[in-house]
Amino acid sequence: MAARTDIDVADEARGSRLHGTRRAWLRLRRSSSDAPGLLSNIGLGVVIALFMGPLVITVFTSLRTPAEVAVQPLGLPIPATFDNFVEAFQQMDYLISVRNTAVIMVASVFITVVFGALAAYPLARLTRRWTPWVYRSFILGMTLPIFVIIGPLYLLQRDLGLLNTWAGVILTYVGINLPVAIFFYTSFLRQVPIDVEEAAELDGAGPFRTFRVVVFPLLQPVTATLGIFVALGVWNDLVLPLVFLRDPGLRTVMVNAYSNINPNAVDPTTLFPAAILGVLPLVIVFALMQRRVVQGLTLGSVK
Amino acid sequence: MIARRPLAALSFLAPAVIVYLVIVIYPLLSSARLSLTDSPAGNVGEFVGLDNFRQILDDPNVMSALWRTLAYAAVVVVLQNGIGLVLARAFFRRMRAQRPLSVMLLLPMLISPLMAAFIWSALYAPNGALNAALEAVGLEGLTRIWLGDPSTALWAIALVNIWMFAGYSCAIFLAGYMNMSNEVLEAARVDGADGWRRFRHVEWPLLAPALTVNVTLALIGSLKVFEYPLVMTNGGPAGSTTTLTLVIYQTIFGGQGSFGYGVAVALLLLLVVMVLSTFVNGVLRRREERI
Repeated sequence: MAARTDIDVADEARGSRLHGTRRAWLRLRRSSSDAPGLLSNIGLGVVIALFMGPLVITVFTSLRTPAEVAVQPLGLPIPATFDNFVEAFQQMDYLISVRNTAVIMVASVFITVVFGALAAYPLARLTRRWTPWVYRSFILGMTLPIFVIIGPLYLLQRDLGLLNTWAGVILTYVGINLPVAIFFYTSFLRQVPIDVEEAAELDGAGPFRTFRVVVFPLLQPVTATLGIFVALGVWNDLVLPLVFLRDPGLRTVMVNAYSNINPNAVDPTTLFPAAILGVLPLVIVFALMQRRVVQGLTLGSVK
Repeated sequence: MIARRPLAALSFLAPAVIVYLVIVIYPLLSSARLSLTDSPAGNVGEFVGLDNFRQILDDPNVMSALWRTLAYAAVVVVLQNGIGLVLARAFFRRMRAQRPLSVMLLLPMLISPLMAAFIWSALYAPNGALNAALEAVGLEGLTRIWLGDPSTALWAIALVNIWMFAGYSCAIFLAGYMNMSNEVLEAARVDGADGWRRFRHVEWPLLAPALTVNVTLALIGSLKVFEYPLVMTNGGPAGSTTTLTLVIYQTIFGGQGSFGYGVAVALLLLLVVMVLSTFVNGVLRRREERI
């Protein structure tokens, strides 16, 4: 090998029993960290601080009194007050909103996963003339902006009596997320050998039993990532519930926050805790399943 | 095996196909039909041919929203990916800090666009944290009413977009860096190429697939921007932040009795997204093959 680094030499000199991959890792670390200079470290620190600044200010300001913030917008929350949270909590009808959002989110994720996996199975295994055609028409939906169909969708839901119901919103989330679900399930299944399914069939299992016992459990890694991707999208969405849910008792966190809080008329001490409350349930999920969330976030990148 | 059971295959497909037909395909075809009518508020309306589309071309509101949306998308695509790339290169050279830092930078993306708009509305307020911070470092001259000034409002909103997604661009570029072969990077180093030349002639070409993904996603995302201008400025001041989606939303649901026209503008958005993303994606993919 042409390029021998000091670490390689040192390893060999010590007669190191380091595993091959660990050696590779050491080399990678050495070659890729050719000592970033002080200036570049400071520059990176400043950029990170600028990115995190808004989040830090959000947390600090939400713990200060409106009077303090009016005098000095930047400051530490000493002593801390939770009054702002109480106010934002009430303004957002928080508990009802969270319950509504959670119901819509769980149902949307569940149905998208089941329908998507069911459809992906024949699409991955069947080679007929019409299967690529069906597959491609699903894939087309991945880049469709919701605004293109929202007008006619509103008329349709009005005519079907689905306006102002959770069912209408849930069905819509399922419909617009099926393309992503089918894309990922199908490409995953195509890489899975067919043998297990054939073995199940030899044991006398029908197609539905094979799906339930063999295929669906195989899809579990995709299901977890996809579930988080859909859940994030539903939780954070404003457009669909804003258009389709008029009754405040049915509305989601985002719609109640949007309807009850005008950002240009209220104090920062109301906006910041509202934002924290809006994000909080997701942050808890994030903390619990960090790795999956990062995968779910970057799921869009391979679309 | 499902392949030998056509009836079973169809019943597996049925639920997804039915929902998709009802929720996506039917409204899409319905859009095409409604855009050719003068429907004020529903399915009724006289067939008017391409009148709506002719009217769009003469409508200064729609045309200025179109150019504004394109300018917004251009700024977001360039800055978001530029910052993401610089950060990815910095992280790649710091293996230990890489994971915690890139997870930190993904945090803003977890926040909903509405909540990000809340946070930044408060930061941009005339007596808000941004102006206070500028004063604190002696830059009083730069303080202004960020969202109340037609010359800064759109770019202030673009900054929120960039803040949310630069970490995402960074994560994708970083994945590109991780795929690079160590031998190639090492060879460039041994040849004595300096940092910039290694980047320009070795890393940049190898990042081509990551660039394609990043540019395409940022482009599609920024053309669809809606929540930030709706919440932060509601299209103002003086219409300076009225994007295409805002025009569509106001025309369809604003009670102006111009449903058919709004649907036609929505199809214009679809056309812009499709044409631009196909074009940019095509150019970048051909570039990948050349490299």
